[in-house]
Amino acid sequence: MASVPTGGARAARVRAGAAARAERAGGEPFEFRLSQLPVYFLLLVGALVSFTPFLYMASTSLMTLGETINRRLLPAHPQWVNYQRAWTEADFALYFRNSVVISAVVILGVLVTCTLAGYAFARIRFPGREIIFMVLLATLMIPSTVTFIPNFLMIRGDVIPWSSWINKLPALTVPFLSTAFIIFLFRQFFQGIPDELWDAARIDGAGHLRFLTAVVVPMSRPVMTTAALLTFVHTWNEFLWPLLVTTTPTWRPLGVGLYTFITEAGPQTHYLMAGAMITILPVMVVYFFTQRQFTEGIATSGLKG
Amino acid sequence: MGREWLTGYLFILPAVVVIAMFGLFPIVYAVYMSLYSWRVRQGAYLGLENYARTLGHAGGAIAFFGGLLLVLVAHWVWTDAFAGGRSELRRYAQAAGATLLLASGVSVALGWQLMTRSGDRAFLQGLVRTVYYGFGSVPIQIALALVLASLLFQRIRGRGFFRVLYFVPYIVPSVASAAVFRAIFSPRPEFLANTVLSWFHIPPQRWLFEARPVTEVLFGGPLRHLGISHVTGFWAGPSLALVTIILFGIWTFTGYNAVIFLAGLGSIPRDLYEAAAIDGASRVQSFRHITVPLLSPVTFYLTVLGFIGTFQAFTHIYVMREPAVRDAVNTASIVIFDTFYKRNNWSLAAAQSVVLFAVILILTLYQSRFFGRSVFRG
Repeated sequence: MASVPTGGARAARVRAGAAARAERAGGEPFEFRLSQLPVYFLLLVGALVSFTPFLYMASTSLMTLGETINRRLLPAHPQWVNYQRAWTEADFALYFRNSVVISAVVILGVLVTCTLAGYAFARIRFPGREIIFMVLLATLMIPSTVTFIPNFLMIRGDVIPWSSWINKLPALTVPFLSTAFIIFLFRQFFQGIPDELWDAARIDGAGHLRFLTAVVVPMSRPVMTTAALLTFVHTWNEFLWPLLVTTTPTWRPLGVGLYTFITEAGPQTHYLMAGAMITILPVMVVYFFTQRQFTEGIATSGLKG
Repeated sequence: MGREWLTGYLFILPAVVVIAMFGLFPIVYAVYMSLYSWRVRQGAYLGLENYARTLGHAGGAIAFFGGLLLVLVAHWVWTDAFAGGRSELRRYAQAAGATLLLASGVSVALGWQLMTRSGDRAFLQGLVRTVYYGFGSVPIQIALALVLASLLFQRIRGRGFFRVLYFVPYIVPSVASAAVFRAIFSPRPEFLANTVLSWFHIPPQRWLFEARPVTEVLFGGPLRHLGISHVTGFWAGPSLALVTIILFGIWTFTGYNAVIFLAGLGSIPRDLYEAAAIDGASRVQSFRHITVPLLSPVTFYLTVLGFIGTFQAFTHIYVMREPAVRDAVNTASIVIFDTFYKRNNWSLAAAQSVVLFAVILILTLYQSRFFGRSVFRG
C-alpha cells in the first residue's frame, strides 16, 4: 500500500513511470491457455455481478413506465425524454449545478489550505510541528456520526453567534475546506523535493511562498491531481451532512436531491433511475479516465464512510 | 529564526482552523452536550444520566467495555509479556493469556446482559444489528475478494479491465447505488431480484419490506413442523431487509478489498512459490500454506477496517430503509441519527455517538495491536 510517493519527488516520478511501463508491457508476455478458462469464467461472473446494477439502471432509465413493470430487460425505444423530465421537472439541473459548485469550491479550498500546510509540515521548522501534525492526523479516526451533531450546532450559530448557514453555500463547503489526509499526502510528496532547489531559490532571494508557488507547485502536478480527484469523489458522494443542512432546494446537492426524489416520486422507477444515472455518471466518467491515480489514492485513504 | 516560525504557523493556520473547528472541536463538544439535557436548546445539567439511559447498568457497561479491552491485555500476555524469557515461562504466559481471553469473553457477555435489561433498547438493538451486519458482510466480502484477487494475480489478459470494473461499486455515490438496489430488490414480483428467483421457482420475496428474521423466512415452515413456532432473540438472525442491506455491503466492498489484496499478493516473494513447486506442492497447497498465511496481516487489516466501516455505515442503510420494516434495519449510526433528527433528543444522541466512538476506538486499538503481525503465528 506504499503507493503514495515517499522517496524524492524525482525518484517518485521515475518509479511511477517504471511501474506504468511494467504494467503496460505486462512484464511477461500473456498467452491464453485453455486451462485458464475457469479463471476467466469466474472473473467474468464477478465483473457481471459488480456491473449488473449499473446496466439495470441504464436500461431502466430509458424505459416507459409500462416497460418497468413488465419484466423487460431492455427498452423497445429508448426514452431519452426521461432524462429531460428528471433534469427539468425534478430539479436535477439545479442539484447538478449545486454539486458542481460545491465540489469546485471544496477542491479549490482543499488544494490551497493543504498545499500550504503540507509544505509547512514538510519543509519549515517551527516548535510543535510534529505534535500538531499528529493531532491533525488523529482527526481522521473520528467518524462523522460523532461530529455531525456539534457541527450542526456550529453552523447554526449556536456555538459562535453568527447568523445561521443552513441552506447556504458555506454550510456545505467550509467544514470540508481542509482535511488531514490530503495534508499527509502533500507532506509526503514535498519532503522528497531536493534541498538544493530550496538553497538555489534562497540565494535568488525567494522566500517560502515564492518557492512554493514558483517551484514546488509546478513540480507537484501528479499529487495535486490525485488530491483533487479524491476530494471531488468525496464531496460529490457526501450525503449525511448535506441532508442535515439543506432543507430547501436552493443549495441541495445531487445525492440529497435524489433521496428527496425517492421519497416523493413513488413507484416511478424510470425517472428515478434517470436521476440515479445523473448522480453516478460524473463520478464514473472521471474514474474511468483517471483510474490509475484513483485506485492508488483511494486504496490508501479508505474513502468510504 | 523567528520569521521562519511565523511563516510556518501562518502556512498551517487555515488548515488548522478548519480542522480544529470541524474535526476536533466536535469531539469535545459532543461530550459536553451529552452531560446536559439538550432538546434543540440547551437545558439543565444532567451529569452522566444520558449515558446511564443509553447503557443501562453501570457495572454492566464497565464489564462490557473492560472485557473488550481485556482482549488486548490477553494478546499482550500471550505474545510479548515473556517473549525474551525461557520457554516454560512462555508456556505459562500463553496459558495466562488464554485464561484472560476466556475471562474477557465472559465479562463481555455478562456485561451485555446487564446492559440490555435497562439500557436504551433502540440503541443496544442497533449495536446488535451492526454486529449482524458486520459478521454477515465482512467475512463474505473478504473471502470473495481473496478469490478474485488471486484469480486476477495470475497471468491473464485484461487484468486492468477487471480491476477497474470491480472497483466501480466502491467509488460511486452510495445514495444512487442504493436507489438502484431499492429498485432491484423491490417486493413486486416483476423486478429483477424476484425475477431471478422465479427462474428457480422460488416465490417472490418482500426483501427490504421484510421485517421477519431470515431464519423464519427460510425455515419457518419446516421449523413449525418440528414444533418450534418462533426462534427469537439473537439466534433468530437479522431480518431479510437487513440481509438485503448486507448484500449491498458485500457488493460495494468486495472490489475494494480485492484491490488491497492484489497489492498484498504483489509483495509475496515469487521464489517462495518456486521453492514450493520444486518440493512438489500443488497449487492448492501453496495457496493454503504460502498465500493465506502471508496475506493474513492484510486480511486482518481489512477485517478490522470492514467492522469499523459497518459501525459507521449510514447512507445506504438510510436510503434503503422502508418505513414498513420499522426498526428492523436500524444499525447504531442510524439510531443515533434518529435520536437526533426524529426524537430531537440531541444530548442523548451525543451520548450515543460518544459510546459508538468508544467502540470504534477499541476496534482501532485492536488493529494497531495486531496489525503487521501474522495472525496465524499468533
